[in-house]
Amino acid sequence: MAKERRVKGEWKRLSVQAAMFLLQNPKLQNFFLGTIDTGKTKVLCAPGLNCYSCPAAAGACPIGSLQSALSPQKPKFPFYVLGFLLLFGVLFGRWICSHVCPFGLVQDLIYKIPFPKKIRTFRGERILRLLKYAVLLVLVIGLTLFDTLVPYFCKYLCPSGTLFGAIPLTVSNPMLRGQIGLLFWWKIGVLALLLLLSVPIARPFCRWLCPLGAIYGLFNRFALLGMIFDENRCVGCGACETVCPMGIDPKGQVDSAECIRCGRCIRACPTGSLARRFGFASQAHKKSTM
Amino acid sequence: MKRTTRILLFAALSVLGAAFVLIGAFSGQALAVLNKAIRVCLECIGIG
Repeated sequence: MAKERRVKGEWKRLSVQAAMFLLQNPKLQNFFLGTIDTGKTKVLCAPGLNCYSCPAAAGACPIGSLQSALSPQKPKFPFYVLGFLLLFGVLFGRWICSHVCPFGLVQDLIYKIPFPKKIRTFRGERILRLLKYAVLLVLVIGLTLFDTLVPYFCKYLCPSGTLFGAIPLTVSNPMLRGQIGLLFWWKIGVLALLLLLSVPIARPFCRWLCPLGAIYGLFNRFALLGMIFDENRCVGCGACETVCPMGIDPKGQVDSAECIRCGRCIRACPTGSLARRFGFASQAHKKSTM
Repeated sequence: MKRTTRILLFAALSVLGAAFVLIGAFSGQALAVLNKAIRVCLECIGIG
């Protein structure tokens, strides 16, 4: 189990995450009014897992919108939502997970709570990571296609909807509070479990369950924003692997679907062998000029 | 992944994504997204 290592410059990413949260959720006054925004900006899909029932949300959740479009009552190819997902994915890949997603921010903050033994990865975690693809194929797409109007992922799993939608709305809206039942407590339980797991393990939801991360990860290899590894500069110190919040080895997996492009490995590397790629530089290692 | 492949995939998916957004917008799917997003999703908040 790797010892937790501090990386300089994390405050910059946290600042970007906070700014992105406010950009996607500017209607903060609605937290006190017990209502949600009904503005026209909600025609646009937000890039991260930002529930449209969050009182402050100014955009639409892409996963919620996708499930809504897949309703079997009026089956149609979800061009609009898929178009947004394609554009976000091909431009940013999973950079959105580390810099834009509000639930990613929450997990990052919770992970800062001290814990005796932070867990980087464990035996069998590879199989758990496949679970997010099952969530995407079964909960988001499969079951929604066969059942009428039930967004299974949103209803039974999404912790972002619980944290940013369910809790603020039921606190400030007595009418909704009066309708709390078993489903609400199930969702609270799921959220609580994920937040508890976020103390010893970085980003458990992103690693194992997020269908949006599953989609964006597929674009990592050819997204405009990516990463480069220079084998010639690497001295094999393992600093990158130690600091990676997703528990991968950046040296060998720089285009991995698990990499959320947080940049911690870049900042931790003493020789500059890892760098961001903005463009289409080849993944072939740079030749030494020495 | 080769640079050419990367560029081709990026270009193709960008165009496809933009086309999908436009097709969806003109076929009323954008309005459907808006109509869903401006109403409290009871399932999302654990009520429905």
